[in-house]
Amino acid sequence: MSGNPLDKRYAVLGAMLIAPTVLVFCAVIVYPLVSALYLSLFTIFTPTLRGSFVGLGNYAYLVNSPEFWRSLWNTLLWTICTLALQIVFGVAAALMLHQNIVFRSLARSLILFPYFVSTVVAVLVWRWLFNDLYGVMNHLMLMAGLIKMPLDWLGSMPNAMISIILVGAWKYFPFVVIAVLARLQTIPDALYEAAKIDGAGAWSRFVDITLPQLRDVLVVVVLLRAIWDFKEFDLIYLLTGGGPIIATQTLPLMVYKDAFGLNDMGRASAVAVSMMLVMLSFMVLYLKLAGRDERESQR
Amino acid sequence: MKTIAGRIAFNLFAWTVVLVTAFPLIWMILTSVKPQFELFRIPPTFWPEQITFEHYVRLIYETPFLKYMRNSLILGFATTIVVVVVATLGAHSLVRFRYPGRERLAQMVLFTYLLPSVVLILPLYLMMVWLGIANTIFSLVIAYTTFALPYALWLLRSFMQGIPDDLEAAALVDGATRMEAFVDVILPQALPGIISTSLFTFILAWNEYLYALVLVNTDEARPLTTGVMSMLVSAFNIEWSLLMAASVMMSLPLIIIFAFLQTYLTRGFGAGGVKG
Repeated sequence: MSGNPLDKRYAVLGAMLIAPTVLVFCAVIVYPLVSALYLSLFTIFTPTLRGSFVGLGNYAYLVNSPEFWRSLWNTLLWTICTLALQIVFGVAAALMLHQNIVFRSLARSLILFPYFVSTVVAVLVWRWLFNDLYGVMNHLMLMAGLIKMPLDWLGSMPNAMISIILVGAWKYFPFVVIAVLARLQTIPDALYEAAKIDGAGAWSRFVDITLPQLRDVLVVVVLLRAIWDFKEFDLIYLLTGGGPIIATQTLPLMVYKDAFGLNDMGRASAVAVSMMLVMLSFMVLYLKLAGRDERESQR
Repeated sequence: MKTIAGRIAFNLFAWTVVLVTAFPLIWMILTSVKPQFELFRIPPTFWPEQITFEHYVRLIYETPFLKYMRNSLILGFATTIVVVVVATLGAHSLVRFRYPGRERLAQMVLFTYLLPSVVLILPLYLMMVWLGIANTIFSLVIAYTTFALPYALWLLRSFMQGIPDDLEAAALVDGATRMEAFVDVILPQALPGIISTSLFTFILAWNEYLYALVLVNTDEARPLTTGVMSMLVSAFNIEWSLLMAASVMMSLPLIIIFAFLQTYLTRGFGAGGVKG
């Protein structure tokens, strides 16, 4: 390859085409990333942007800060619960929409819509549904006899945590539906026919055929959604603002509060970097899987 | 599912699930056309007793909604154009050219796609203040490339990998240069991919909230997401029907895109690993 002058010219052309991308990446991603690491070694007053070097002081502070550990715990709790619901409902809905039902494409669009709608819209609607006096949720549950008094959905614990988990599941389960539905369509019907002839019931066909076929796509979906749920800001910030007090405050919310509420950009960066370190294991695992898929598909 | 009764039962069940899932969105539309006083009925009415569009009229004439919408449109189009142009060139380079570091670069794109915004936002905020462009739509366009570019690049790359190598080779044999082959052969083939990538990028920009919250603090540059939320916060008593009307208006472009996009729905969104 190296000897051919044409190849060399092509390599130069290829590099020129990717150059704008690399430039933008360096300016808006690589530089800020390095800068965040650097900032976390300072204490910086946000309004004046003046600060002094404190070394690992911010990190030492965080290790001893109950608020940091509470936020980390909240983040994990939120991620695991909402992710579990997303997967269960997502797979169930995908199986359902895979069947022949009337107006199937309309049904699919309606199911997918929560995922595409802005988080702001989703939150406004849910805050109206959760309204303590005139909200439909309280009304329906009172009518069904599940509760005797209207509930405070977002302002008290554990309701606030349960509410954000539910809304998160509602907003993001369609992603699982999209992925699983696409995979379901590629499972050959012959597998099911053969199982039927062998006398397998509906349940055992699901466990022995569908689930193993879905395994790979589910692993990818779980990893991706875990990463995205872990870093979710909008939904939680807009629904509860991290409250009551810090009961639903996750790490991204703590970063925002430290930087723009408590005006300490250095410490906020330290929280952000710590958060990224926790996420890194998931990210590396995902990159490995994606890389393996890639090599297989090129073979 | 052999009997007709079983079929009907399953259809009923499925549609109940669909409607329950879509209920918040149906409720949003219903609330937006009810007169204000009807919201405070106990028990709540399902169908509006009286349909009114007064909230939409108020939204347009008495609130800065149209200004926010204009900002969002400019922001969405600018981000989409910048990102899709850069990403199309980049994806073409990643797929069709060989040079050292190409694989690493592709991996880095995927990695940046997973990065949390809150890590990048503090340095970006400092950068915008330092450049003196905080509080402008332009600063948001720059900030939005952080998530939109990796996304578009990854999506376009997978679209372009689906175009057979032979097409370009044939053009080269016929005497075209690589750039001519790119413009005349690859681009028309990649057009459906480019269109759906553009639409998805537009949706991402349209829905973004965090960067807009941090980087923009004036009504002049505020997009819909933070603008509508500020209407909620600043109101003395919350006018839910007005907010629901705003939500409906905000979702309109998505509904239009949705109608166009039926066929791409299962392919594009959240790509970057999930393969059909």
